[in-house]
Amino acid sequence: MNLHDGAPALSVTGLRKTYGETRAVDGIDLVVGRGEVVALLGPNGAGKSTTIDMVVGLARPDAGEIAVFGASPHEAVRRGMVGVMPQEGALLDDVTVGETVTLIASLHSAPLPVEEALSRAGVADLADRRAARLSGGQQQRVRFAMALVPGPDLLVLDEPTAAMDVTARREFWQSMHAFTQTGRTVLFSTHYLEEAEAYADRVVLMHAGRVVADGPVSAVMAEVSGRTVTATVPGARAEDLGALPGVAAAHVRDGRAELRCTDSDLVVRELLTRYPEVRDVEIGALGLEDAFLRLTGVSEAVR
Amino acid sequence: MTGYLTFEIRRTLRDAKFLLFAVALPVGLYLLMADRFADQGAPASYVMGGVAAFGAVKTALDVGARTAVERAIGWQRQLRLTPLSGGGYLLAKASVAMVVALPPVAGVSLVAALVSGVHLSPGGWAVAVLGVWAGTVPFALLGLLIGQFATAQNLQAYQGAVVLVLSFVGGLFIPVSTFPQALATVAKVLPSYWLAQVGHAAALGDGSDGGSGQAALVLTLYALVLGAAVAVRYRRGTARA
Repeated sequence: MNLHDGAPALSVTGLRKTYGETRAVDGIDLVVGRGEVVALLGPNGAGKSTTIDMVVGLARPDAGEIAVFGASPHEAVRRGMVGVMPQEGALLDDVTVGETVTLIASLHSAPLPVEEALSRAGVADLADRRAARLSGGQQQRVRFAMALVPGPDLLVLDEPTAAMDVTARREFWQSMHAFTQTGRTVLFSTHYLEEAEAYADRVVLMHAGRVVADGPVSAVMAEVSGRTVTATVPGARAEDLGALPGVAAAHVRDGRAELRCTDSDLVVRELLTRYPEVRDVEIGALGLEDAFLRLTGVSEAVR
Repeated sequence: MTGYLTFEIRRTLRDAKFLLFAVALPVGLYLLMADRFADQGAPASYVMGGVAAFGAVKTALDVGARTAVERAIGWQRQLRLTPLSGGGYLLAKASVAMVVALPPVAGVSLVAALVSGVHLSPGGWAVAVLGVWAGTVPFALLGLLIGQFATAQNLQAYQGAVVLVLSFVGGLFIPVSTFPQALATVAKVLPSYWLAQVGHAAALGDGSDGGSGQAALVLTLYALVLGAAVAVRYRRGTARA
């Protein structure tokens, strides 16, 4: 840390990676400031895992630059500045939880006390248990303890809740939240919209190897989950329509108003009340949302 | 690095079943074969050399090759997210292979001395035990190489075939002098043949080095080549992932 004071937690420029014919990551730029909690949201195959693998030094980019606190991914890992929970990566069956986390701690120069990492991850009571006798959710939390024990300033979690049931997920996010309250930076990937909404400050939406939206959760949510109302509204100006409750943005084109909504029901009620002469009202999914949901199948994850 | 080595050694040493089998198999084979080749000019001390070599080769290969499982479940990936280098990991694994290669050699030698009454000079014993053990290095490296190619599923087949060829064709069980000419030529290409030479030289030790100098040279060359292959392959595997 002291070497690169002022550098952002993560800075990625022009990142690309191709596997055979597949452009897994197709030009990504991303800066994560210190203390931010950022969700990398997108369906399977969007390029989230490939991006994360490159950020933590598990995969080599074909093109682009990555700096973690101003250092290379390898340097950051070597100095314990980044703690990682990869999507794949299992535990040794014949080794206990305590031994595993102690081993990882012993490889780092300034680790957290093992007991602290275990209790932060909520697995202190499993310390003497062998990995073979853990449930999927317990294993994930042990791997969370392994990511915590270097005492990192940046945590990178690749689909951390993939193997967990609802209760395990809630418990996991509680321990996560406790960690972020100490001012640490977190980058996590998920294909659950509601996880991004509940736990991130900022959402980076990925599709087909690119970033398609990036911003505060509320803004991206409005864009992704909103609807459009189109109508012919004689005499109405775009500014007036934009000021209606429930409208995020308004355009008037060829006499037709197109309203991006955060609450389309409210917008329709307001329209009918304030502009009685309104006609040809249509309510539809937003272009981006429509495209996103259909192309990416996020709707299934969102339910 | 030492932290990881300690962890691995502790892990291996508490695997009692594995250790027991590693010693029991060659000792059993020795007891079966000790007097089998006496009429062909191969006394018990000669059989001891070959079977001790077999025990060391098989155990060292086993430990190295089991890294295939750690690769498959993603443990190696997990380790790459720590300051432990790839070289540190491989060195620790090779060291563990060497640690567990000693008991089979010592076990066979002990049984040979106690049960068959094999008598060697102190120097002869040193070569028979420590010489054969040190000569196991290329096999530990070969195991690591197999571990990087094999999957957890086909590992057994790979490893079984390699151990079989190395021990039978390399003359660890049947004296190469009884082989047809062509097979004897093939035998002399295998590192296991040369490891057996170390053991045999100790058994027949009559002051001369019995060719163990040449054997040491061949085994060293094998170790260097296999070591380089392991390093290159690991680096490539890392880059691709």
